[in-house]
Amino acid sequence: MHSFINIIKEHIEYRHQILKLAKADIVKTYRGAALGWSWAVIKPAVTIFVYWFTFEIGIRGGGNKIIDDFPFFLWLICGLMPWFYMNDMLTQGTDSIRKYSYLVTKMKFPVSTIPTFVSISKLMVHAILMVIMIVIFIAMGYPPTIYILQLPFYMLLNFLFFTIFSLFASLLSAISKDFSNLVKSMITAIFWLSGIVWNINTMDEKLIWIKKLLMVNPVTYLIEGYRNCFIHQVWFFEQPKRLMYFAIILIAMLIFSVWIYRKLRKEIPDVLN
Amino acid sequence: MKKETVIKFDKVTKTYKLFKNDKKRLLSVFLKKMKCKTKKAVNNVSFEIKRGEAVAIFGKNGAGKSTILKIITGVCFPTEGKVDINGRVSALLELTSGFDPEFTGRENIYLKGQLLGIKNKEIKELESTIIDFAELEEYIDQPVRTYSSGMKARLGFSINVNIRPEIFIVDEALSVGDEEFKNKCIKKVNEIISNENVTLLFVTHATAVAKEFCKRGLLMKEGRLIFDGDIDEAIEKYESTYKKK
Repeated sequence: MHSFINIIKEHIEYRHQILKLAKADIVKTYRGAALGWSWAVIKPAVTIFVYWFTFEIGIRGGGNKIIDDFPFFLWLICGLMPWFYMNDMLTQGTDSIRKYSYLVTKMKFPVSTIPTFVSISKLMVHAILMVIMIVIFIAMGYPPTIYILQLPFYMLLNFLFFTIFSLFASLLSAISKDFSNLVKSMITAIFWLSGIVWNINTMDEKLIWIKKLLMVNPVTYLIEGYRNCFIHQVWFFEQPKRLMYFAIILIAMLIFSVWIYRKLRKEIPDVLN
Repeated sequence: MKKETVIKFDKVTKTYKLFKNDKKRLLSVFLKKMKCKTKKAVNNVSFEIKRGEAVAIFGKNGAGKSTILKIITGVCFPTEGKVDINGRVSALLELTSGFDPEFTGRENIYLKGQLLGIKNKEIKELESTIIDFAELEEYIDQPVRTYSSGMKARLGFSINVNIRPEIFIVDEALSVGDEEFKNKCIKKVNEIISNENVTLLFVTHATAVAKEFCKRGLLMKEGRLIFDGDIDEAIEKYESTYKKK
């Protein structure tokens, strides 16, 4: 508990620096390339095209062309757009302390805020992609409904989940490269098992227990949450059970992260260079 | 007037855990009985430094000097014992690092200042002084990754001496660049410590330079503090340990 309060205190005390570093992190990611900022859009666009091509043109009939009265393309980007943030956090969030080791070993700086500012930086890009997504929906003749009001709620859950995740992941990855590799090797599994590019809701009814298991998966919960806003048109409080499962996992992860932090905070400067 | 204590070490011990490999280190987080060797880099060290003092720390490589400096800077944490620090610490530890390589020199000045909690306005006032002192000229707007190690060191030194430190730590840093720049550095350090509110900690093998700045000397050996007192005596002891070998 003491460590938890400590982490919160550090975040409040260093809030200005956190924002500055988040800004610096964005600038650094996209500067130095000729196309600069457009990479923030080009990279996701290529990925979206590939999956769209695979499912709509490649695997014929694999994807239902219309899902819940929406074109498959719109359904697909609802899953992929939030995934880009998740993917960034799984890779760069996990490596954040390693990447910013100079903040750990060369000056006095609260280590717990490093994953946070990296996460904020990625969240900003995520927010831009969300705006682009809304524009795409409007352009294709599906203007947002009242359900879009809960989008910030799901973005917040997404942010909290992956910021807390990257706190313990970045600490463990600073200790050992093994952990960093472990996370990276899990990314493909997480992607395919979370119903991002295929529809969990149309799974064979005989496999209902698998479906239930997948619904407990926090990534699935988040992705379905984004779809609640755009496609399913369901309020988050209409699925209280799922929200509860998600909250339990989130809190368990928070406790685990704080425990790891308490164990490793003093050791991290000794092992990084 | 009695001077207040700015640095206080009370029975400080720093133990490093040495594992066979990183895998073992990772497992040790979850398994209590994971075995590892330990090394005491600093062993039961106590001392006090008052405001305005200039203290030199001597010792062979591996005697624990750098660890002590890291603890004072707040980078490292003691395993046992208590440390009290009072004031803005500016450390010239490994001058060539601590920059973000993707940013320009100028941006790094701002970033460093912000990280130290200095207001943008104050940094702006210091900016030109820092740039002039570092002698980087047009390179100041190039990314730091393009700098030579000498340029990085000059910028690092310049930032650290110009942010008006209260506790000033110099670790072998005065060997930056050529003779001319070195003299400029020494002059600058002298100027800083002539302000009687600034505390200087100086780690070096160059006893002659240390004598110029400091009145008090600490001598470290294998993690222990074996002498604390007059600088001349400290130097004499330090040099005699060398001769014995």
